[in-house]
Amino acid sequence: MEIIEHPPILHVAAIPDHVLYTWIAMGFLAVVALVASRRTSLVPTGSQNFMEIVLEQFVKELEETIGPEGRRYLPLIGTLGLFILTSNLMGLVPGLVAPTANLNTTAACALIVFVTYHVIGVRKQGFIPYLKHFAGPVPLALKPLMFVIEIISHCARPLSLSLRLFGNMLAGHILLAIFFFMMGFDGMLGWALSGSLGGIVVGAPAAVVMVVFVVGFLLPLKILVAFIQTFIFCKLAMLYVAAAVEEAEHH
Amino acid sequence: MQRIVTMSLMAILAVPAMAWAAEGAGGGDMAKAFAVLAAGLGFGLAAGLCGLGQGRAAGSAVDAMARQPGAIARIQTAMLLGLAFIESLTLFVFVIAVILLFVKS
Repeated sequence: MEIIEHPPILHVAAIPDHVLYTWIAMGFLAVVALVASRRTSLVPTGSQNFMEIVLEQFVKELEETIGPEGRRYLPLIGTLGLFILTSNLMGLVPGLVAPTANLNTTAACALIVFVTYHVIGVRKQGFIPYLKHFAGPVPLALKPLMFVIEIISHCARPLSLSLRLFGNMLAGHILLAIFFFMMGFDGMLGWALSGSLGGIVVGAPAAVVMVVFVVGFLLPLKILVAFIQTFIFCKLAMLYVAAAVEEAEHH
Repeated sequence: MQRIVTMSLMAILAVPAMAWAAEGAGGGDMAKAFAVLAAGLGFGLAAGLCGLGQGRAAGSAVDAMARQPGAIARIQTAMLLGLAFIESLTLFVFVIAVILLFVKS
Protein backbone atom coordinates (compact mmCIF):
# COMPACT_ATOMS: atom_id res chain seq x y z
CA MET A 1 0.00 0.00 0.00
CA GLU A 2 2.83 2.38 0.79
CA ILE A 3 4.10 2.16 -2.78
CA ILE A 4 0.95 3.45 -4.45
CA GLU A 5 -0.23 5.81 -1.77
CA HIS A 6 1.04 9.29 -0.99
CA PRO A 7 1.02 10.40 2.65
CA PRO A 8 -1.65 12.97 3.56
CA ILE A 9 -0.90 16.71 3.50
CA LEU A 10 -1.04 17.21 7.25
CA HIS A 11 0.92 14.64 9.17
CA VAL A 12 2.03 14.75 12.79
CA ALA A 13 4.46 12.04 13.78
CA ALA A 14 3.08 11.31 17.23
CA ILE A 15 -0.60 11.23 16.25
CA PRO A 16 -2.16 8.56 14.00
CA ASP A 17 -3.68 9.98 10.82
CA HIS A 18 -7.25 8.95 11.51
CA VAL A 19 -7.22 10.63 14.93
CA LEU A 20 -5.84 13.86 13.47
CA TYR A 21 -8.44 13.92 10.72
CA THR A 22 -11.20 13.04 13.20
CA TRP A 23 -10.22 16.19 15.08
CA ILE A 24 -10.32 18.17 11.85
CA ALA A 25 -13.82 16.87 11.07
CA MET A 26 -14.91 17.69 14.63
CA GLY A 27 -13.49 21.19 14.37
CA PHE A 28 -15.19 21.74 11.01
CA LEU A 29 -18.55 20.60 12.39
CA ALA A 30 -18.16 22.74 15.51
CA VAL A 31 -17.40 25.82 13.40
CA VAL A 32 -20.38 25.11 11.15
CA ALA A 33 -22.65 24.70 14.18
CA LEU A 34 -21.34 27.92 15.75
CA VAL A 35 -21.80 29.91 12.55
CA ALA A 36 -25.26 28.50 11.99
CA SER A 37 -26.48 29.19 15.53
CA ARG A 38 -24.72 32.50 16.18
CA ARG A 39 -27.66 34.72 15.34
CA THR A 40 -30.70 32.47 15.33
CA SER A 41 -33.79 34.12 13.97
CA LEU A 42 -37.38 32.93 13.58
CA VAL A 43 -37.10 33.30 9.82
CA PRO A 44 -33.86 31.41 9.10
CA THR A 45 -31.44 32.61 6.44
CA GLY A 46 -28.16 31.36 5.08
CA SER A 47 -26.30 28.74 7.09
CA GLN A 48 -28.98 28.49 9.75
CA ASN A 49 -31.51 27.67 7.02
CA PHE A 50 -29.24 24.98 5.62
CA MET A 51 -28.59 23.30 8.97
CA GLU A 52 -32.30 23.36 9.81
CA ILE A 53 -33.12 21.59 6.55
CA VAL A 54 -30.45 18.96 7.26
CA LEU A 55 -31.64 18.35 10.81
CA GLU A 56 -35.29 18.26 9.72
CA GLN A 57 -34.43 15.30 7.51
CA PHE A 58 -33.01 13.52 10.56
CA VAL A 59 -36.12 14.34 12.60
CA LYS A 60 -38.38 13.07 9.80
CA GLU A 61 -36.55 9.76 9.62
CA LEU A 62 -36.49 9.46 13.42
CA GLU A 63 -40.22 10.03 13.75
CA GLU A 64 -40.89 7.61 10.91
CA THR A 65 -38.82 4.88 12.56
CA ILE A 66 -39.14 5.33 16.32
CA GLY A 67 -42.46 7.15 16.55
CA PRO A 68 -43.55 10.50 18.01
CA GLU A 69 -40.86 10.42 20.75
CA GLY A 70 -38.12 9.91 18.18
CA ARG A 71 -37.05 13.55 18.43
CA ARG A 72 -35.48 12.75 21.83
CA TYR A 73 -32.75 10.76 20.08
CA LEU A 74 -31.82 13.49 17.62
CA PRO A 75 -28.59 14.42 19.51
CA LEU A 76 -27.30 10.84 19.20
CA ILE A 77 -28.31 10.07 15.63
CA GLY A 78 -27.77 13.57 14.26
CA THR A 79 -24.26 13.87 15.66
CA LEU A 80 -23.26 10.45 14.41
CA GLY A 81 -24.78 11.10 10.99
CA LEU A 82 -23.14 14.50 10.49
CA PHE A 83 -19.76 13.24 11.69
CA ILE A 84 -19.86 10.15 9.48
CA LEU A 85 -21.01 12.11 6.43
CA THR A 86 -18.25 14.69 6.90
CA SER A 87 -15.62 11.99 7.37
CA ASN A 88 -16.82 10.04 4.33
CA LEU A 89 -16.73 13.13 2.12
CA MET A 90 -13.26 14.04 3.42
CA GLY A 91 -11.97 10.90 1.74
CA LEU A 92 -12.84 12.41 -1.64
CA VAL A 93 -10.54 15.41 -1.23
CA PRO A 94 -7.02 14.63 -2.46
CA GLY A 95 -4.52 14.88 0.35
CA LEU A 96 -7.04 14.31 3.13
CA VAL A 97 -7.78 11.05 4.89
CA ALA A 98 -11.25 9.70 5.57
CA PRO A 99 -11.29 8.86 9.31
CA THR A 100 -14.03 6.29 8.58
CA ALA A 101 -11.59 4.34 6.39
CA ASN A 102 -10.02 3.16 9.66
CA LEU A 103 -11.64 0.45 11.74
CA ASN A 104 -10.93 2.26 15.03
CA THR A 105 -13.16 5.21 14.15
CA THR A 106 -16.08 3.14 12.90
CA ALA A 107 -15.82 0.72 15.82
CA ALA A 108 -16.01 3.69 18.19
CA CYS A 109 -19.20 4.91 16.49
CA ALA A 110 -20.75 1.44 16.50
CA LEU A 111 -19.88 0.85 20.16
CA ILE A 112 -21.49 4.16 21.11
CA VAL A 113 -24.69 3.01 19.38
CA PHE A 114 -24.46 -0.44 21.01
CA VAL A 115 -24.02 0.87 24.56
CA THR A 116 -26.58 3.63 24.13
CA TYR A 117 -29.44 1.49 22.90
CA HIS A 118 -28.93 -1.00 25.70
CA VAL A 119 -28.91 1.85 28.25
CA ILE A 120 -32.08 3.24 26.68
CA GLY A 121 -33.74 -0.18 26.81
CA VAL A 122 -32.77 -0.79 30.45
CA ARG A 123 -33.93 2.67 31.43
CA LYS A 124 -37.28 2.23 29.72
CA GLN A 125 -38.11 -1.21 31.09
CA GLY A 126 -35.81 -2.00 33.99
CA PHE A 127 -33.00 -4.53 33.92
CA ILE A 128 -34.84 -7.84 34.44
CA PRO A 129 -37.75 -7.16 32.04
CA TYR A 130 -35.26 -6.01 29.41
CA LEU A 131 -33.29 -9.24 29.78
CA LYS A 132 -36.54 -11.22 29.55
CA HIS A 133 -37.23 -9.82 26.09
CA PHE A 134 -34.09 -11.47 24.82
CA ALA A 135 -35.85 -14.83 25.26
CA GLY A 136 -38.65 -13.82 22.93
CA PRO A 137 -42.17 -15.20 22.52
CA VAL A 138 -41.35 -18.93 22.40
CA PRO A 139 -42.32 -21.93 24.60
CA LEU A 140 -40.45 -22.23 27.89
CA ALA A 141 -38.31 -25.17 26.77
CA LEU A 142 -36.86 -23.14 23.90
CA LYS A 143 -36.14 -20.00 25.90
CA PRO A 144 -32.49 -20.76 26.88
CA LEU A 145 -31.63 -21.49 23.25
CA MET A 146 -33.39 -18.34 22.07
CA PHE A 147 -31.61 -16.30 24.74
CA VAL A 148 -28.16 -17.43 23.59
CA ILE A 149 -28.98 -16.82 19.92
CA GLU A 150 -30.34 -13.38 20.71
CA ILE A 151 -27.20 -12.46 22.71
CA ILE A 152 -25.02 -13.52 19.78
CA SER A 153 -27.10 -11.52 17.32
CA HIS A 154 -26.86 -8.45 19.55
CA CYS A 155 -23.08 -8.83 19.77
CA ALA A 156 -22.90 -9.14 15.99
CA ARG A 157 -24.62 -5.77 15.54
CA PRO A 158 -21.68 -3.47 16.37
CA LEU A 159 -19.41 -5.79 14.40
CA SER A 160 -21.44 -5.58 11.21
CA LEU A 161 -22.21 -1.89 11.75
CA SER A 162 -18.54 -0.96 12.01
CA LEU A 163 -17.23 -3.35 9.37
CA ARG A 164 -19.82 -2.26 6.80
CA LEU A 165 -18.85 1.40 6.98
CA PHE A 166 -15.13 0.65 7.24
CA GLY A 167 -15.19 -1.83 4.35
CA ASN A 168 -17.07 0.50 2.03
CA MET A 169 -14.79 3.43 2.73
CA LEU A 170 -11.57 1.42 2.55
CA ALA A 171 -12.66 -0.27 -0.70
CA GLY A 172 -13.33 3.10 -2.32
CA HIS A 173 -10.05 4.43 -0.97
CA ILE A 174 -8.00 1.54 -2.36
CA LEU A 175 -9.84 1.68 -5.69
CA LEU A 176 -9.13 5.41 -6.11
CA ALA A 177 -5.52 4.96 -4.97
CA ILE A 178 -4.94 2.21 -7.55
CA PHE A 179 -6.51 4.24 -10.34
CA PHE A 180 -4.55 7.38 -9.49
CA PHE A 181 -1.41 5.26 -9.36
CA MET A 182 -2.14 3.71 -12.76
CA MET A 183 -2.83 7.01 -14.51
CA GLY A 184 -0.20 9.09 -12.71
CA PHE A 185 3.50 9.72 -13.29
CA ASP A 186 4.33 6.15 -12.30
CA GLY A 187 1.73 4.77 -14.70
CA MET A 188 0.21 5.71 -18.02
CA LEU A 189 1.04 9.42 -17.89
CA GLY A 190 4.66 8.69 -17.06
CA TRP A 191 4.79 6.22 -19.94
CA ALA A 192 3.36 8.85 -22.31
CA LEU A 193 5.85 11.48 -21.11
CA SER A 194 8.81 9.14 -21.36
CA GLY A 195 8.94 9.81 -25.10
CA SER A 196 8.80 6.24 -26.35
CA LEU A 197 6.54 5.47 -29.30
CA GLY A 198 4.43 2.95 -27.35
CA GLY A 199 3.91 5.48 -24.61
CA ILE A 200 2.64 8.13 -27.00
CA VAL A 201 0.40 5.74 -28.96
CA VAL A 202 -1.01 3.68 -26.07
CA GLY A 203 -0.16 5.48 -22.83
CA ALA A 204 -1.58 8.90 -23.63
CA PRO A 205 -5.03 7.70 -24.79
CA ALA A 206 -5.16 5.26 -21.87
CA ALA A 207 -4.39 8.08 -19.43
CA VAL A 208 -7.17 10.20 -20.93
CA VAL A 209 -9.66 7.31 -20.79
CA MET A 210 -8.75 6.68 -17.14
CA VAL A 211 -9.17 10.34 -16.17
CA VAL A 212 -12.60 10.39 -17.83
CA PHE A 213 -13.56 7.13 -16.12
CA VAL A 214 -12.45 8.28 -12.68
CA VAL A 215 -13.98 11.75 -12.87
CA GLY A 216 -17.14 10.67 -14.64
CA PHE A 217 -17.87 7.41 -12.88
CA LEU A 218 -15.76 6.59 -9.83
CA LEU A 219 -15.99 9.92 -8.01
CA PRO A 220 -19.80 10.21 -8.39
CA LEU A 221 -20.06 6.60 -7.23
CA LYS A 222 -17.96 7.40 -4.17
CA ILE A 223 -20.13 10.42 -3.35
CA LEU A 224 -23.22 8.22 -3.65
CA VAL A 225 -21.66 5.55 -1.44
CA ALA A 226 -20.69 8.15 1.17
CA PHE A 227 -24.30 9.34 1.46
CA ILE A 228 -25.85 5.86 1.32
CA GLN A 229 -23.53 4.47 4.00
CA THR A 230 -24.31 7.41 6.28
CA PHE A 231 -28.02 6.82 5.71
CA ILE A 232 -27.72 3.11 6.42
CA PHE A 233 -25.65 3.62 9.57
CA CYS A 234 -28.19 6.12 10.93
CA LYS A 235 -31.19 4.04 9.88
CA LEU A 236 -29.81 0.92 11.57
CA ALA A 237 -28.99 2.87 14.72
CA MET A 238 -32.57 4.18 14.70
CA LEU A 239 -33.94 0.66 14.22
CA TYR A 240 -31.90 -0.64 17.17
CA VAL A 241 -33.07 2.21 19.40
CA ALA A 242 -36.64 1.66 18.19
CA ALA A 243 -36.43 -2.05 19.04
CA ALA A 244 -35.14 -1.24 22.53
CA VAL A 245 -37.87 1.35 23.12
CA GLU A 246 -40.78 -0.43 21.51
CA GLU A 247 -40.62 -3.73 23.36
CA ALA A 248 -42.13 -2.09 26.44
CA GLU A 249 -45.39 -1.50 24.63
CA HIS A 250 -45.81 -4.91 23.02
CA HIS A 251 -45.76 -7.12 26.11
CA MET B 1 -19.10 -33.02 -16.55
CA GLN B 2 -19.32 -30.87 -13.45
CA ARG B 3 -17.33 -33.42 -11.53
CA ILE B 4 -14.57 -33.43 -14.13
CA VAL B 5 -14.36 -29.63 -13.98
CA THR B 6 -14.22 -29.69 -10.19
CA MET B 7 -11.59 -32.40 -10.13
CA SER B 8 -9.40 -30.65 -12.68
CA LEU B 9 -9.74 -27.34 -10.82
CA MET B 10 -8.63 -29.02 -7.62
CA ALA B 11 -5.75 -30.62 -9.42
CA ILE B 12 -4.66 -27.29 -10.87
CA LEU B 13 -4.82 -25.72 -7.44
CA ALA B 14 -2.96 -28.59 -5.80
CA VAL B 15 -0.08 -28.92 -8.27
CA PRO B 16 1.87 -25.75 -7.41
CA ALA B 17 1.37 -26.43 -3.72
CA MET B 18 2.84 -29.89 -4.11
CA ALA B 19 5.65 -28.54 -6.25
CA TRP B 20 6.57 -26.01 -3.59
CA ALA B 21 6.28 -28.58 -0.88
CA ALA B 22 8.68 -30.81 -2.83
CA GLU B 23 11.14 -27.96 -3.22
CA GLY B 24 10.99 -27.38 0.47
CA ALA B 25 10.44 -23.64 0.14
CA GLY B 26 10.50 -21.41 3.22
CA GLY B 27 7.34 -21.45 5.35
CA GLY B 28 6.81 -17.69 5.05
CA ASP B 29 6.74 -17.78 1.24
CA MET B 30 4.21 -20.61 1.25
CA ALA B 31 1.95 -18.76 3.66
CA LYS B 32 2.18 -15.58 1.58
CA ALA B 33 1.38 -17.44 -1.65
CA PHE B 34 -1.65 -19.13 -0.15
CA ALA B 35 -2.77 -15.84 1.41
CA VAL B 36 -2.77 -14.14 -2.00
CA LEU B 37 -4.57 -17.11 -3.55
CA ALA B 38 -7.17 -17.17 -0.79
CA ALA B 39 -7.74 -13.43 -0.98
CA GLY B 40 -8.31 -13.51 -4.73
CA LEU B 41 -10.48 -16.62 -4.84
CA GLY B 42 -12.44 -15.68 -1.75
CA PHE B 43 -13.19 -12.16 -2.82
CA GLY B 44 -14.14 -13.28 -6.33
CA LEU B 45 -16.60 -15.80 -4.91
CA ALA B 46 -18.02 -13.30 -2.46
CA ALA B 47 -18.43 -10.56 -5.08
CA GLY B 48 -20.12 -12.87 -7.57
CA LEU B 49 -22.58 -14.36 -5.10
CA CYS B 50 -23.25 -10.92 -3.62
CA GLY B 51 -24.09 -9.75 -7.14
CA LEU B 52 -26.61 -12.57 -7.50
CA GLY B 53 -28.21 -11.79 -4.15
CA GLN B 54 -28.35 -8.05 -4.66
CA GLY B 55 -29.72 -8.47 -8.17
CA ARG B 56 -32.54 -10.58 -6.79
CA ALA B 57 -33.31 -8.06 -4.06
CA ALA B 58 -33.20 -5.05 -6.38
CA GLY B 59 -35.28 -6.85 -9.00
CA SER B 60 -38.00 -7.66 -6.50
CA ALA B 61 -37.94 -4.09 -5.22
CA VAL B 62 -38.37 -2.68 -8.74
CA ASP B 63 -41.22 -5.16 -9.30
CA ALA B 64 -42.92 -3.93 -6.15
CA MET B 65 -42.36 -0.28 -7.08
CA ALA B 66 -43.92 -0.83 -10.51
CA ARG B 67 -46.98 -2.39 -8.89
CA GLN B 68 -47.33 0.19 -6.14
CA PRO B 69 -45.91 3.55 -7.22
CA GLY B 70 -47.42 5.13 -4.12
CA ALA B 71 -45.15 3.17 -1.79
CA ILE B 72 -41.90 3.90 -3.62
CA ALA B 73 -40.28 5.77 -0.74
CA ARG B 74 -40.85 3.01 1.81
CA ILE B 75 -39.85 0.24 -0.61
CA GLN B 76 -36.66 2.14 -1.38
CA THR B 77 -35.74 2.36 2.30
CA ALA B 78 -36.37 -1.35 2.80
CA MET B 79 -34.39 -2.17 -0.34
CA LEU B 80 -31.42 -0.06 0.78
CA LEU B 81 -31.40 -1.77 4.17
CA GLY B 82 -31.59 -5.21 2.58
CA LEU B 83 -28.82 -4.38 0.14
CA ALA B 84 -26.68 -3.16 3.03
CA PHE B 85 -27.14 -6.43 4.88
CA ILE B 86 -26.26 -8.49 1.80
CA GLU B 87 -23.31 -6.28 1.05
CA SER B 88 -21.93 -6.43 4.57
CA LEU B 89 -21.24 -10.16 4.10
CA THR B 90 -19.09 -9.33 1.09
CA LEU B 91 -17.36 -6.63 3.07
CA PHE B 92 -16.45 -9.13 5.77
CA VAL B 93 -14.65 -11.09 3.07
CA PHE B 94 -13.10 -7.87 1.79
CA VAL B 95 -11.74 -7.04 5.23
CA ILE B 96 -10.35 -10.56 5.58
CA ALA B 97 -8.75 -10.28 2.13
CA VAL B 98 -7.15 -6.96 3.05
CA ILE B 99 -5.85 -8.47 6.27
CA LEU B 100 -4.45 -11.44 4.35
CA LEU B 101 -2.76 -9.21 1.79
CA PHE B 102 -1.41 -6.29 3.78
CA VAL B 103 -0.94 -7.39 7.37
CA LYS B 104 2.44 -8.93 7.84
CA SER B 105 2.29 -12.16 9.77
